[in-house]
Amino acid sequence: MRGLKPTQPEIPQVIPAGTLRHLSPEEIKPSTNNPRLLFDPDQLQELKKNIGEHGVLVPITVYQAKGQAKFSILDGERRHRCVLDLNKEGHLGRDGRPLKLPANVVEPPTKIAGLLYMFSIHNFREAWELMPTALSLKIVMEELGEQDDKALTKLTGLSEPQIERCKKLLAFPERFQEMSLDPNPAARIPSNFWIEALPVLELATREIPTLKKLGRDRATDKLVEKYRARKIKSVIHFRRIMESYDLSEGEPNTRAAVLRRMEEFFLDPSLETRTAFDQFFVEKKRVQTALTICEEFLHQLQQLKLTYTADDEERKNLRGALRQVREYCKSLEQALRGSDDPEVPQD
Amino acid sequence: MWRFFHSIKAALRFHDYRPQPVTFGAANRWVKQFDKGDRKTAGRLLDKVIYLSEVNTRQILVDQNAALMKRLAAAGLPAKKLIYVQVHAAGSSSPVMLNILRDAAGLERLGCRFLDSRDSLGLNKATNEVGEGALIYIDDFVGTGNQLCGARDFAIRSVVGAFSEFLVVPSICEEGIYQLAQRGIVAFAGHVHSKAERPLHDNSTLLDKETKERLRLVCKGISPKMSLGYNELATMVILYRNAPNSVPALLRGNQNQTPFAGIFPRTTDLPLKKVG
Repeated sequence: MRGLKPTQPEIPQVIPAGTLRHLSPEEIKPSTNNPRLLFDPDQLQELKKNIGEHGVLVPITVYQAKGQAKFSILDGERRHRCVLDLNKEGHLGRDGRPLKLPANVVEPPTKIAGLLYMFSIHNFREAWELMPTALSLKIVMEELGEQDDKALTKLTGLSEPQIERCKKLLAFPERFQEMSLDPNPAARIPSNFWIEALPVLELATREIPTLKKLGRDRATDKLVEKYRARKIKSVIHFRRIMESYDLSEGEPNTRAAVLRRMEEFFLDPSLETRTAFDQFFVEKKRVQTALTICEEFLHQLQQLKLTYTADDEERKNLRGALRQVREYCKSLEQALRGSDDPEVPQD
Repeated sequence: MWRFFHSIKAALRFHDYRPQPVTFGAANRWVKQFDKGDRKTAGRLLDKVIYLSEVNTRQILVDQNAALMKRLAAAGLPAKKLIYVQVHAAGSSSPVMLNILRDAAGLERLGCRFLDSRDSLGLNKATNEVGEGALIYIDDFVGTGNQLCGARDFAIRSVVGAFSEFLVVPSICEEGIYQLAQRGIVAFAGHVHSKAERPLHDNSTLLDKETKERLRLVCKGISPKMSLGYNELATMVILYRNAPNSVPALLRGNQNQTPFAGIFPRTTDLPLKKVG
């Protein structure tokens, strides 16, 4: 994997044009990303109170798109929102007039600079809006010629797992991507569907001859059809398929049975995920054991009173071991994340 | 005498109303449905209708668009930087208006692009290619602006780059202008429909209080839920293709046109014709 190197394209910046103006909130066009959905209401309330007492102290950053009378916000969405609310409530500034915002007016950002700003907002977005983020990431990757996850994290502010998820979405042909962009939430295929389905599709089209012959796109169609028929009740259930396969390692008969069931699952639209795969694993028992181990591990460590370890060598070894534990736990915790999208109807 | 006069006038003014032609007989029958005392007012109400014929509509679209293109060209945005966006499904008003404008103004030859607001991938690609430009939404009539803004809010998520936003529309209500302005969308409209122009609206003084109240009661009798149209806008703009859903019920009539037949039924208000 390539890291951030001096040869990497420079991160585009918004270049201040050096014009400071005082704008009324009505002269400013709100962000296309609805801030009410994106910002913590308590923090917003706190900021509003502060602005009510002292006014806006730090200028917001705005630009004027060609042909547009209003200014678009690059930075300062929350301050704008607060001033708008305060003025609506009849709050007046120290000069006895409605509040204005000091604004640094800059040149319209380049496409990439605008996108990177947008990413800083998209970080707050819910998973079900991941597809537009993925499309934007694709543009960043193409324009800057950057594919490395770490470099992209630095550029966009997205976490590595988020970037990984976006890349999974981009691995699907456009006709499938479009299904996650459907304006009708009831018809929209959630982004998580593709993310969770990808390993299953890869496995099935690699290991099962009929599905290999069918091809990945047609196999994907089969899953979409099944999902629309409500035979995949939760996208998380795709994990049961992978788990069934993994658990059958070293048991040729079970492995063959899992693959046969998987083939059947793809080809029979009426076969539901849990009905098909529940027989192959005993999740609850394993998870219960893991929970007990976590509890005991913590308890034992606390009992050892290690905080005051003085020996340098011992401290070094212990920190190394703890780092290993932390890394594993972090990766496991991230792997366990994921959920159905909020608007997916549940049984 | 006056009833004939109003009916003749209506037939002449509204003859090209598509869902159901307004003939002398149709206008006369419509007026006769009112109580005798209200017939004169009902006839006069038709004088307050702001009717946009096909010719008017095309001309307004072309003129407003020309003014917008001039402004954008002056701001450094040539036709190739303009993306026209239809906001509703195929066959509804917005795509029809876009087709009319595209053909009448030769937009295709000028290098403009055309997209549907629901085509997220298309918008993403087109705006990525154009980089900086203008999105121009097209519709036939905007009432509250809710529908248009809903479509726009969905579309804008896929837009990449710095784009200013405009609306070209034959007619828009003042409520819609406010809603669009909140999003920084500038409307280029041939007509801004003020509340004062709507005889049955709360804020209008075109009718005396008593007459207004009586006609509003008639509307309520026809459609208790949509008596003054969507969001009680009580609009009086009628487009040759269809009446907006914000017109008072006495203009639209009942569903299937019974018991009260409207003079401007919407396409969906008419009874289904038997095929074959």
